[in-house]
Order: sequence, then structure tokens, then C-alpha cells
Amino acid sequence: MKIAKEKRNLAIAGALIGIIAVVLVLLGNPKNMGFCIACFVRDIAGGLKFHSAGVVQYVRPEIIGLVLGSFLISVLTKEFNARGGSSPVLRFCIGAMVMIGCLAFLGCPFRMILRLSAGDLNALIGLLGFASGVGAGSFFLSKGFSLGRTRAQAPLEGCAISLVNIILFVLVIAVPSLFAFSTSGPGSMHAPMVVSLCAGLVVGLLAQRTRMCMAGGFRDLYLLKDGTLICGFIAIFVFALIMNLATGSFKLGFTGQPVAHNAHIWNFLGMAVCGLGCTMLGGCPLRQLILAGEGNSDSAITVLGLLTGAAISHNFGLAGAAGAVADGAGLKTQGKVAVILCLLILVAIACIKTFAEKKED
Amino acid sequence: MEDKRDEMMVATFANHYGAVQFKKTVGAGCTLRPVPRSLSSSCGTCAFFEGPFLKEYVNSNLEAVYEMKDGTYIKVYEN
Repeated sequence: MKIAKEKRNLAIAGALIGIIAVVLVLLGNPKNMGFCIACFVRDIAGGLKFHSAGVVQYVRPEIIGLVLGSFLISVLTKEFNARGGSSPVLRFCIGAMVMIGCLAFLGCPFRMILRLSAGDLNALIGLLGFASGVGAGSFFLSKGFSLGRTRAQAPLEGCAISLVNIILFVLVIAVPSLFAFSTSGPGSMHAPMVVSLCAGLVVGLLAQRTRMCMAGGFRDLYLLKDGTLICGFIAIFVFALIMNLATGSFKLGFTGQPVAHNAHIWNFLGMAVCGLGCTMLGGCPLRQLILAGEGNSDSAITVLGLLTGAAISHNFGLAGAAGAVADGAGLKTQGKVAVILCLLILVAIACIKTFAEKKED
Repeated sequence: MEDKRDEMMVATFANHYGAVQFKKTVGAGCTLRPVPRSLSSSCGTCAFFEGPFLKEYVNSNLEAVYEMKDGTYIKVYEN
């Protein structure tokens, strides 16, 4: 009975989030990018001048809203709990590698679903890669993988990432000249700032209440044969699909898709890196933002890892270029090497933490 | 339909492997499930099992054990 209630809540939240995501596109966000944690964190890295890719620089209020929405609701419901200390440096590094994988594919698991709902079949390849990555991660979890137990932390430690987000938003409003703003490309396309912030707050609240997580959804399917968590993303897909069909934004195919490329192997491997890394971290990039808002400093450090990974991706030309492979889009050689290296490093970390360190527990 | 889990105990863990170890120790009558939302905002694995809770069930990854009473969880053990 309680599981049915959780599924219902996830389905309702997913439906609302799917609709909000498409509305954000109608109000100015890039196509199929109503929400994308990877893209938006990458844009924030650009806005903060951590990288100089001129077309992806904008301090996305959606991300600030997600963290603060989770922070506010968790404080109100007395679920705010400052905790951390579970391999923070490893989490930072894994977060950076997850971002490199996401930007090879051009999206996080959230955007993967939104791309799929708009008919982008490259996202289906990404989904297969993501499911494979989570499958590998689930194998390690079942064999004893853990990044270690979290411990209670001082309240200020748990609040720090939310306070940083508040300060960032105030600075963007008060002193915009401090930041970089794209004048062309995806970074220049955005819904009105207040709408974006409110959308982030609402989705942050919904995601905190329902524990929505794409990696967790697949992980629970594999390990527990439980489909509760995946319901949220199925609902996002269904309602975003309805909205895309209704607004004429649905276009089925591999080519000509917005902010996407059709380098299939790298779409698969990029999301495999993401799936494996997210399972090791205990949640997808969206979930990391929500947990950070709830007071989890391990997730906060992971978010900083994502931010750093975005800067690395663009400073070293690792991110995928949108367009058709036939026209030279996809990944450059260094991007391909980076994706393979990230995959190998993640497997190495998983093996060490599973088989070499398990006896310590 | 009656939810039999209302008569059971729930153990939470630091990681999934702790739950797997716990299930092996408890044996039949123990089921691994996602942690109920009403119990925690974390999304790990928990074990539903028939009481009583015995000390030999404890492993290093066990976090807490709850007893369900009138639809609420009462913590009876913390590791």
C-alpha cells in the first residue's frame, strides 16, 4: 500500500516536472533542455569564467532553485541533516568524471529523458549506455562496494552549498558585470530569470519529497526488482512527450536533433561513464543537487566536482560537438580518450573499493 | 488489501552490501526493499524482517532497526 502511494507521488511529481521542462523550453530555454543538470552546471562554470567556451556561459537559476528548493523543504519538514565525510575527494573526482561522460553525450540522465520525449533517438543509445553503466555499478554494490559511511557534521557544513547558491544569485542580480553571459548559442537561450528560479524551486521541492533519481531507479530495478523510483522518470517521459507532440516539438530521428550528435559509440560510452559513476555516488546529478540542499556535504563536494568536470571538458575540448558526425560533429580524439580513461578509472576505483578494501568493514 | 509489512521490523544500512549480509544472516522471512519514504529521505536499501531483532543480526554496515507500530517507525536499535 505504501509503495503504491510512493509510486503515485513519483508519477505526479514526474508529470509536473515533465510539463515544467517543456514550458521552460517554450519560454526560451534551448530545445530539449528545459532541464539538464550537466548542461546547466556547465553553463554556470562558463558564467563564472571557469571555462571560455563563449556559447555556454550563463548562471542558470534553475540549478540555484533546485538546491534551495530542497534546502527549504527539508528545513520545513525537519529532514535537513548535516552529514558527510564519505570519501569526499573520491566523490569530487567521480563527480568530475560523471560530468565528462555527460558532456560527451551532451546531457545528464534528466535531459536524456527529455531528448527521448522529443524523438531524439540518440538519447535511446545514451539510455542503453546509462542502463549498462548502472548495471555495472549495481554489480559492484552487490559485491560490497561502498565509499564509506557518512557521519554527522556541523549545521554550517550542511548549509554551506545553499548559502553559496544564495550569494551567487544575489551577485548575479546585483553585479551582473562580474559574470560572463553568452550572446549566441545555447547559453544565450533562457527563460526569464524569475521563472527559471521558480521552476528550479518547485522541481527541487518535488524531487526532495519523492527522492526522484534516474540512477537509483535502474539500480533498484536491478538489485531489488523494485520499479518505484523509475516511475518518476517514466512520468517525466510520458508528459514531456505529450507536451512535445502538442506543441509540435516532436521530431523522430538520429540527425537534426537540437544540441545532440549521432556518434553512437560515444553517446553510449559517455552515458555508461555517467551511469557507473552515478551508481558509485549513490545518485544521478539531479539527486546530488537535492541531497546537497538537504545538508549532505558529500553531495555538495560532488556538485563542485561536476562544476570542475565541466570546466575541464570545455578547456580541453572533451565535450561533444552538436551536429551530424558526417559534418565533423561528435567527439574529438581527446574527448574519446577522456571517456575511455574515465571508464577505466571508475572501474579501477570500484574494484579497489569492492575487493581490496571490503575486508576493512 | 492488508499490508503485512506493518507487522514487521525494518533495518537500515550504510550501503547495499550491508543489507545483503543482513539477509543472509536472518534467512527466510527477510526481504530487501527500498527504504520507505516515510522512514527516511535517503534512497538506500532496507530489510523488512519478522521480529524479534537479535544481536547476532548486527553487522558493521547496519545503521538502525525500527519497529512498526500504528503505521509509524520506532527506533529500537542504533549501531
